[in-house]
Amino acid sequence: MTDAPILSASPILSASSVTHAFGGLIAVDGVSISVQRGEIFGLIGPNGAGKTTLFNIMTGLIAPNRGKLFFEGRETTRLPPYRIAERGIGRTFQNIRLFGELSVLENVMTGRHTRTHSNVLSGVLGLPAARAEERATRQQAMQLIDRIGLTDRAHVRAGSLPYGDQRRLEIVRALALEPRLLLLDEPAAGMNTREKQALSDFIRQVRNQYHLTIVIIEHHMPLVMGLCDRIAVMNFGQLIAIGVPAAVQRNPAVIEAYLGSRKFVDR
Amino acid sequence: MDATLLLQQILNGLAIGSVFALFALGYTLVFSILRVINFSHAAVFTLGAYFTYALTGGAFGFNGLLANAQLPFGLPFPVALVLGNILAGLTAMGIERLAFKPLRARGADPLLALVSSLGVAVVIVNLIQYLVGAELYTFPAETYGALPPAVNFGTAEHPVQVRTTQLIMFVVSLVVLIALTLFINRTKIGTALRAVAEDETTARLLGIDTDKLILLTFFLSGFLGGIAGTLVGASVSISGPYFGIAFGLKGLAVIILGGLGSIPGAVVGGLAIGLAESFVPGQYVAYKEAVAFAFLFIALLIRPQGLLGRAVIRKV
Repeated sequence: MTDAPILSASPILSASSVTHAFGGLIAVDGVSISVQRGEIFGLIGPNGAGKTTLFNIMTGLIAPNRGKLFFEGRETTRLPPYRIAERGIGRTFQNIRLFGELSVLENVMTGRHTRTHSNVLSGVLGLPAARAEERATRQQAMQLIDRIGLTDRAHVRAGSLPYGDQRRLEIVRALALEPRLLLLDEPAAGMNTREKQALSDFIRQVRNQYHLTIVIIEHHMPLVMGLCDRIAVMNFGQLIAIGVPAAVQRNPAVIEAYLGSRKFVDR
Repeated sequence: MDATLLLQQILNGLAIGSVFALFALGYTLVFSILRVINFSHAAVFTLGAYFTYALTGGAFGFNGLLANAQLPFGLPFPVALVLGNILAGLTAMGIERLAFKPLRARGADPLLALVSSLGVAVVIVNLIQYLVGAELYTFPAETYGALPPAVNFGTAEHPVQVRTTQLIMFVVSLVVLIALTLFINRTKIGTALRAVAEDETTARLLGIDTDKLILLTFFLSGFLGGIAGTLVGASVSISGPYFGIAFGLKGLAVIILGGLGSIPGAVVGGLAIGLAESFVPGQYVAYKEAVAFAFLFIALLIRPQGLLGRAVIRKV
């Protein structure tokens, strides 16, 4: 079903005992996870389990109260978001956060910001090097846009695209960063079954083509089970299970957490 | 009103209106990124004029710490205009670091930044008074070199005289406005600025160092404001440390009329208020300000989001 990922011994991302509380509410409670290079790693759990908060901690938006994070062996715990992005972690959002006023092309080019070198002065003066770089950036961005079939809409406002296209554009914008780790927060939300299948294929293709590692938060179980190499389950901020899909599915604690929501049983 | 007078007034209106636009853009740039009005902008407007005046070799008066001070050289006006207002831009960067960034880092309400910037304005005004006194300074007559004092756009029988300073106001403002528009719409950094203005968090997650861009925004804002101050100072005079404060109020009227945070709005708003003022008949010229603000009220009753502002719907 999945292409065999190239797993290596050292994890690309590891969190050790990460804890974060909002006031009295402990959103993430002592979570330790290691994500292996090349895998598609699912992060599931009921609403409010702390999945998005964990993403926010991994990308530097929130500094955890306790615990440490490592990306490719280097600590990232207190780095600002832009530094973490530079190191190679890209992400998308549960509620789409494209720059609606910018064009499709500009959105993707913004994703390449850290991968280009021209600065204010060279850009303003239109120095040849800056212009050549601008052209190259534009070309690379257009290739990515072509992948999701939006070439003829490259110059329209991103906010005017239909929902499904916005979701794909957001993934492509994250890819423009040339990440080695991609965090996808509910990428299939609001899609129909056919779109979900297409998205699942797209994610796998992208992983193989760019040799990415992907962590995906998703509620739609068939998609998660079919796509992920391993799955971690969170409930009330804690990690309650981790393993290959089939094993996680039989885990009593997981079934308990999902009791009442038939989602998990309905495959 | 005959045609020549009408033309004359339109030209006057466009000249002063383009300076209003330039000045108001300084507010707009900072507002669109930080969602706060930077009240120190009016003081930077004043500073730009003083810096340029000093760099052209202008002498200071008998009061203040720098009484009778004068640079040993005098730069030509265009060079002094650029250098003096780079200094104004650097000052604005310093203001961001001292009065805005520390508050932002602590997650303070934007209202606090507004008050803090008002404090900076007061400090700058007092500092100017302390250093060079409250005198009025006029740029020397030879500021524009060999250019004639006025140009006739009409015929010998129906002259339409436009003062050279007004033409310079208009041309310089236009050049700066076009350069800024190209920078914001066409360059990588400009695109990043627009991205930050729309969603700072996402921009940071895409690897954009937003603090650096905010600093750049303040530089641009100070540079634009300083140029506006210099152009007004060179056209009339630098009326003293409070030079920019009345102008500051008008700048606010311009951005609100045009639509908060809208760049084309600031330009249209500036030109509209400039034109409205220039049509105030001579005998009522003392009420010019009232006309500008009355115009603002009426426009806002019809379009509360400003002329080019977009009615924003945000998630609650």
